[in-house]
Amino acid sequence: MARKRNEEYKGDNEDEEFEEEPVEEFEDPDDFVDDVNDEELLGDLLKKKPCETDGMENVIVVDEIPKVEPARQEKLENVIKKLFTTCGEIVNVYYPKDDNGYTKGYCYIEYKSPAQAEEAVKVYSNYRLDKTHTLLVNIFTDFQKYESIPVEWVPPTAQPYTPTVDLYSFLTEPDAYDQYCVVVDNGSSPSQVQFWQNSLPDPTELHRKDKFTEQTVKWSPLGTYIVAFHKQGVAIWGGPQFQRINKFPHIGTTHVEFSPKENFIVTYGLATASGGSKVIIWDIRTGLEKRSFVADPLAPTSIFRWSHDDKYVASMGDGAIHIYETDTFFLLEKKSVKIPGIRGFAWSPTDNIIAYWVAEQTDVPAKVTLMDIPKKREIRMKNLFNVADCKLHWQKCGDYLGVKVDRFSKSKKGGLKDQDVKFLGMFYNFEIFHMREKDIPVDSVEIKEPIAAFSWEPVGDKFAIIHGEGAGGSNVSFFEAKKGQKVSLVKKMERKSATHLFWSPRGGFIVLANCTQGVFEFVDTSDFTIMNTGDHHGAFQCEWDPTGRYIATGLGAHKVKDDHSYYLWSFQGRLLRRNNLKNFLQLFWRPRPQTLLADAQQKEIKKNLKKYYPQFETKDRLRQTRASKELLEKRAKLREEFLDYRQKRIQDYESLRIKRIELRNNVDTDTLEADKDNLEEEIVECLVKEETTFV
Amino acid sequence: MRPLMLQGHERSITQILYNREGDLLFSSSKDNRPNVWFSINGERLGSYNGHQGAIWCIDVDWTSTKFMSGSGDMTLKLWSVETGKSVATIETKSSVRCCNFSFSGNQAAYSTDRAMGQECELSIIDVRTMDSSLNDASPISKIPMIHSKITSMKWFLDDTIITGHENGLIASYDIRMGREINSIKEHTHVIQDLQLSKDMTMFVTASKDATAKLFDVDTLTCLKTYKTERPVNSAAISPIYEHVALGGGQEAMDVTTTSTRAGKFDSRFYHLVYEEEFARLKGHFGPINSLQFHPDGKSFASGGEDGFVRIQVFDQSYHELVFE
Repeated sequence: MARKRNEEYKGDNEDEEFEEEPVEEFEDPDDFVDDVNDEELLGDLLKKKPCETDGMENVIVVDEIPKVEPARQEKLENVIKKLFTTCGEIVNVYYPKDDNGYTKGYCYIEYKSPAQAEEAVKVYSNYRLDKTHTLLVNIFTDFQKYESIPVEWVPPTAQPYTPTVDLYSFLTEPDAYDQYCVVVDNGSSPSQVQFWQNSLPDPTELHRKDKFTEQTVKWSPLGTYIVAFHKQGVAIWGGPQFQRINKFPHIGTTHVEFSPKENFIVTYGLATASGGSKVIIWDIRTGLEKRSFVADPLAPTSIFRWSHDDKYVASMGDGAIHIYETDTFFLLEKKSVKIPGIRGFAWSPTDNIIAYWVAEQTDVPAKVTLMDIPKKREIRMKNLFNVADCKLHWQKCGDYLGVKVDRFSKSKKGGLKDQDVKFLGMFYNFEIFHMREKDIPVDSVEIKEPIAAFSWEPVGDKFAIIHGEGAGGSNVSFFEAKKGQKVSLVKKMERKSATHLFWSPRGGFIVLANCTQGVFEFVDTSDFTIMNTGDHHGAFQCEWDPTGRYIATGLGAHKVKDDHSYYLWSFQGRLLRRNNLKNFLQLFWRPRPQTLLADAQQKEIKKNLKKYYPQFETKDRLRQTRASKELLEKRAKLREEFLDYRQKRIQDYESLRIKRIELRNNVDTDTLEADKDNLEEEIVECLVKEETTFV
Repeated sequence: MRPLMLQGHERSITQILYNREGDLLFSSSKDNRPNVWFSINGERLGSYNGHQGAIWCIDVDWTSTKFMSGSGDMTLKLWSVETGKSVATIETKSSVRCCNFSFSGNQAAYSTDRAMGQECELSIIDVRTMDSSLNDASPISKIPMIHSKITSMKWFLDDTIITGHENGLIASYDIRMGREINSIKEHTHVIQDLQLSKDMTMFVTASKDATAKLFDVDTLTCLKTYKTERPVNSAAISPIYEHVALGGGQEAMDVTTTSTRAGKFDSRFYHLVYEEEFARLKGHFGPINSLQFHPDGKSFASGGEDGFVRIQVFDQSYHELVFE
């Protein structure tokens, strides 16, 4: 019924509509207001309408240039021109001037193409012309954009909170297993990276990322992030699933550096797609560019040195150190520290102290100076004579500074240029600065032989050097710096083949490595016993895990054709695992942040180690038995299968026995003793050795 | 125990071979003289003089009376083991690569290289009467090899021959019918060696593809694979334990560019069933070309590219080794 009624109703409706159809009228009613605008009506045509900014895409506006009097304008113009021609050919430049003929502090530059203009904006935005002038560069057409910014400020709408990934999950692993990543070049250009956990009894693979990086990877110093390199820039990854945390677009980045506290990342790459080099400092959390520098392409790849607390970053210039405060990235006290003749510097790893050295000049000795920052106060200075070169080595705890001084007994100015100085009769000094003692006493150790390597014990008072080169190999010497005492030789190991020294990050143990042959000697420096000698043929990479319990040695595909592999060793030099992995490139342990425990707490744990010992021991044993149980099960299964097969085959063998005997003239040869009758005894006399003794 | 070093060859060893009882050890090398030694003390018993070229293969029959050697001088020579006199010389059209007596010792097979316009051929001869009449006697049968060159072979009793080929193929032939029974391609590279287990139900192959594999004699199914990082030149099954010994190493032509340690010239021992490596033995300073267990399983011998034959008697610990 309902439907019927509905139909009826519908029918009625139609009728009504028909009747009510209005008579068309084409005239606008009197009160009609045309609400169709030009945009709707002929939008497509309007788009083609020429506007004032046409042809202006090539033009940039440079703000914050100095305001100068007419006499100096030419100089200014030259400076600006020199800067901006690096981005392309400049067609036109215009400097607006005020009534007195002074420039107004901005100028217009026209390029040949919009691309060049864009490039200029990218390169020179926030470029520091000098102490007081930081350039602001915009495309001319952008002014229209900025014009339309509403006058009234509208408060931004609150964004929904998205929880960030837990970057520190790797530290909450209950067994404190360490992680390492393995880079594999599996043919396709971006390399694969595998993340492993060094669990017992076998390492477990946590994650595998194909096409992860173009060249290599790098862990941040506290292990929070891992950097992957791409053509367009670098990306940092982290968290339990190794998600991407942030991107830093910088074309052609070949090298990155983290600040020690992981607040900043420095990328060394190209200035433009076509060339030039540029260094950018980024804020890791926000992903924003903090400061950029145009780098000298011939300069060494790494130019910035960070203070331990991320407060300052310094670079060395010609006769000066530039120290920047990381709050603003302006120079500390707005000026560089002038040090004529500076040749090298290094921050203390624990204090805001810079050590630098100045080369020797005629009648002026070379000197090594310690400078307190931010006061820029000299706290210790040491004069040195006959210096050819210096190398500054800080001990990781900042307790000592070791300066390796290459000295000469005679120098000869050779060649046409005065710079070509030949040094003769080289010998070497180690100047050891005791940082923790009053007035910082300095000790000196002299070595007559060439030094191949130097390394401080990261935690402790010892350092090791490789010196001498003779037919019998080189020597490894250990020195100890005790408080209030002179540095003394504690052990000299002669005739070693070592080329590199790798201290355990916790001190105490050291690996003497021959990185050409791949021979590794594991030494306990408490009594200087060689615990073991390991052989990983050809291996040239050697990495301690951050806890000093394990060592990885690697033989990567960029050096050899085959045998790519990495081995894991215990700190005593026991080979734990051989991993042959085709196209293996590198292995990196994931670093750990410093322990949160105070010294006293650590001591407490060390004291009560015996208490914890059985607990861990049982845990290890349990794991071991579980693993061996799995192996046994696997073997049992294989054995069962094989026995099944063998049963049948043994029967076949038995059934052919008659045939076998027939074939061999009725002699049973199934076992060696089967045919006793035919056995022939033979006596063979063995002349072992003949000796004649004269009485 | 210190191994016995048998120094009687001037060039690299091509094959070593124990007789059935294991009291004698035969060796051949690229010089022209196969040698025979007392396996107990390594004293040389004699040489078989007469070849003009490198010896590629040797075999001795079960009675230790007949010995034969195939050479690059395009002859197969049959010798009297005892006197060292050459009994017969069979001229071939190219180098003789493999030779093997049948189980009964009444027949012998040899294969020739594909070279000088000749195809590879497997020939069977009757060696019941060992005299110079063999020189001109034509083979009982000839099987042309269409697949690829034979690089190793073994008789199974008196009617089947199993061959390993240059391209990694393994085939079995019915000799009476003169046709192929079965073939399988499990290896990707040349098969350098093929040795039967003591009960002749299985055989192990050694290949340049850096693996050795265990096969069933009848079905030619691959039972196990033993993996290494280097070409394997020889593999043998222990007559008393479930062990497989592998010998090989970096190829001879690359050896000068690698040191002994990188060449991996060790003899390597694997468990037959579990495929796990459990021991390595250093010694040679070139790749191992041939390796065999003594028939009593208590020692083994290896011959290397370095020209030495080493006989190593196993320590007590080897016999005490237990796999759970």
